[in-house]
Amino acid sequence: MDSSTAAILNEVFFDTIGYWYVILPTIFLGLIVGGIPGFSAANTIIILMPLTLAMDLQTGLIFMISLYCSSRMGAGIPAILVNIPGTAGAAATPLDGYPMAKQGKGQQALAISFVASCIGGLLTTLIALATMPLLARVGFYMHSVEMIVVMLFGISLIASIAAQDMVKGLIAGFLGLMIGSIGTDVVYATPRGTFGFLELYDGVPLIPALVGLFAVSEALIIIEKRIIINHEAEIKKASWHDTFEGVSIALKRWWHIMWTSVIGLVIGVIPGAGASIASFVAYQQSRSFSKTPELYGTGHPEGLIAPESANNGVTSGTLVPLLVLGIPGGATAAIMLVVMQFHGVSFGPSLFEDQPKVGYGMFMAMAVCYAVMIFTILPLSRYMSHVTTIPTIYLAPMIISFTLVGGFVPREYMFDMYLALGFGVLGYIARRTGYHVAAILIGVILGPLLEKYFLWSLKKSDGDIMVLFSSTLGNILWVAFAASIILPIVFGMRRKRKSEVVIQ
Amino acid sequence: MSMKPIITRRTLLGTGAAAAAMTLATPGLVRANTFPDRNIDVYVPTSEGGGADRNFRAFSSVWKEKLGADFEPGFYPGASGRVGYEIYMGRAEPDCYNLIFGNMGPEVLNWAMQEPGFDVDDYFYFGQVDKDPCCLFVGAESPLQTMDDIVAAAKTRRLNVGTSRMAHPASIGLLSLGEELGIDFNLIPLQGGKGTVAGAVTGEVDFSVLTSGSVIAAGESVKTLLVFGNNVVGDRLNDAPSINDAYGMDLPEMLSARAFGIHKKAADDFPDRFDILTTTFKDTFDDPRLMEAYIASKGTPEYLSYAGVEECAAFKQSMLELGARYKSLLSGA
Repeated sequence: MDSSTAAILNEVFFDTIGYWYVILPTIFLGLIVGGIPGFSAANTIIILMPLTLAMDLQTGLIFMISLYCSSRMGAGIPAILVNIPGTAGAAATPLDGYPMAKQGKGQQALAISFVASCIGGLLTTLIALATMPLLARVGFYMHSVEMIVVMLFGISLIASIAAQDMVKGLIAGFLGLMIGSIGTDVVYATPRGTFGFLELYDGVPLIPALVGLFAVSEALIIIEKRIIINHEAEIKKASWHDTFEGVSIALKRWWHIMWTSVIGLVIGVIPGAGASIASFVAYQQSRSFSKTPELYGTGHPEGLIAPESANNGVTSGTLVPLLVLGIPGGATAAIMLVVMQFHGVSFGPSLFEDQPKVGYGMFMAMAVCYAVMIFTILPLSRYMSHVTTIPTIYLAPMIISFTLVGGFVPREYMFDMYLALGFGVLGYIARRTGYHVAAILIGVILGPLLEKYFLWSLKKSDGDIMVLFSSTLGNILWVAFAASIILPIVFGMRRKRKSEVVIQ
Repeated sequence: MSMKPIITRRTLLGTGAAAAAMTLATPGLVRANTFPDRNIDVYVPTSEGGGADRNFRAFSSVWKEKLGADFEPGFYPGASGRVGYEIYMGRAEPDCYNLIFGNMGPEVLNWAMQEPGFDVDDYFYFGQVDKDPCCLFVGAESPLQTMDDIVAAAKTRRLNVGTSRMAHPASIGLLSLGEELGIDFNLIPLQGGKGTVAGAVTGEVDFSVLTSGSVIAAGESVKTLLVFGNNVVGDRLNDAPSINDAYGMDLPEMLSARAFGIHKKAADDFPDRFDILTTTFKDTFDDPRLMEAYIASKGTPEYLSYAGVEECAAFKQSMLELGARYKSLLSGA
């Protein structure tokens, strides 16, 4: 970094700090919209577009960035407390977050999630800032063939979940993949399994599926209990102790936060890839290389840290192709592009030469936002966790109404509300009969993406299946994928053998 | 002497019935004077916040003053616009108070690939807002930097070409070019403008074809080599020539053309209302505030272009014919 860049960074840092009066209220707005299923930074910015366009460029950018970061974090709050992931990016969060809440550790789980999100987001922002030209090249190497392997990393989670009950796990996973294949095919747009519903032509909409499978089914389950947390878990009086304990648990796993957030960053810079892929891949990798994989899914802090660090790592990642190449990495980045073009900012390689303060300013706004967020949100964990002690006769109807509205919001079709209810019933039956809803959901979310990359690859190669092994990077990823499947089995067998020796 | 009543019961009933029949039978004549007495509902078959939304808001902000009524958009995205059209044709009353704001290029091509649930002649476009020609472009770092490079490379291998979706005017432009040059291009549908630009920039495909507005927005990350229409923006599309000039072809312009459409029945039943709509629509183009609003909505000023019922009908028909001609290549059928 040369002295002029350092001087610009210094200047934009103090400039950004001066906008605290924009950052603070936007953080709270972002936490609210992120927490409501169906809402996201993208549709909030669209709704507030006239306001955003009326702001000067710097205020508008700081507003959008703060909203983007805080809504990403906000989506994790209901995912942990009431099993409602607000967005597909938070779909892996309840896998371990919600079991913690049920054990009466909701406050701890929130603190872990906040620390992982903020540190993950802050760290990846700094890495992105330092290695931007390098990171921008990732998209040049990660094409459809390579993305197939990345998808398989995430989908292989089904096998991990199936390990508890192989037949039921695989049935649930395949059911998810089948549901994910509903809609028109990627190449010729031929409708499949739509049952004549036009609303299914673009595939099963994610938010209704997400809230139905997780939240509606959970509401039906918890109504059978008095409160969310298990009867055997002691209902403690809220104190700061749990928050500090959560912070401590997260900080002790700083290395875990670091490498899982980098997974998010790398996936985030690939145009078209997003937080849902990143969080599932990070969770799968975290589990694969854990010494205690059997604890995942039972309320393990590392199972919560991985998706939360990764999905916040994605936020900074999506800015890289936007600023360096002019290609928005995701929906929110695409809307930022529109707003910035309105102010006459041109993207591409020359941005950092012509308007360096804009380019560096966006990353600096993100870094400052994450730093401010940790201090503003941590104290809230104590009060937010009270949700788990609300009697279910009030909570369950609230969850169902909120989630149905959430299912409606993205496309505003009544059909989507019915769909959420349908998925809720499916999820309830699955839970009651011992099938894992997460396995179904992984299929629904990642199945269509895997199919898309697979069909693109085949179309590009005129149907030659060997295209899957045609690139060097792809082959390296195949080896890594095989290793991540085989090594945990080998390590597990070795651990088992050692423990048997100790017992003998 | 008894007075003969001026109005008997029979004449009263008869006159009332005649008046009611007149009102119902000649609605256009009687009711047009008050049209519009409420807001106009507009069905937009794409998502809120997208290009069509911005374009619609810019145009309607001026048109509403000419018409004397506001426009209320409803967004019905999905299935490449098919959902919005089906809802408009199936549920909206054909009374001139319900319009559709669609795209005469890709959306009409849909009907050629797969017939909709309504007769495509039961609606028509009456006013084009803008037209955005499709173009062929490469990534800034692509080894293919000229059309000659592309032709030479196509002789050694089958080139992969990104497109927003198969049934798109840009795809037809490319297939026509392929026919002319004897090249078999391999179209890869990259699902939307962002993906299509990214595909060309990152090397997922050899090059891409897309509407030029999205290509201009991508800035210096891309380089345009050919326009499937007239290049009216010059260096913003790298002074790329039109396909007809470069290869002596006679291809109609391959466009994304946003336009207002209406039920045929509405125009037939309420000719005066329809006349008010078309007259005020045309007047809107004479107002300098339209250009200001269009530029503010990030529209390319050169693309703001009026076309009336006949021109829109001709364009719709040409899309249907070209779609039918290339159906096997675009739909795999």
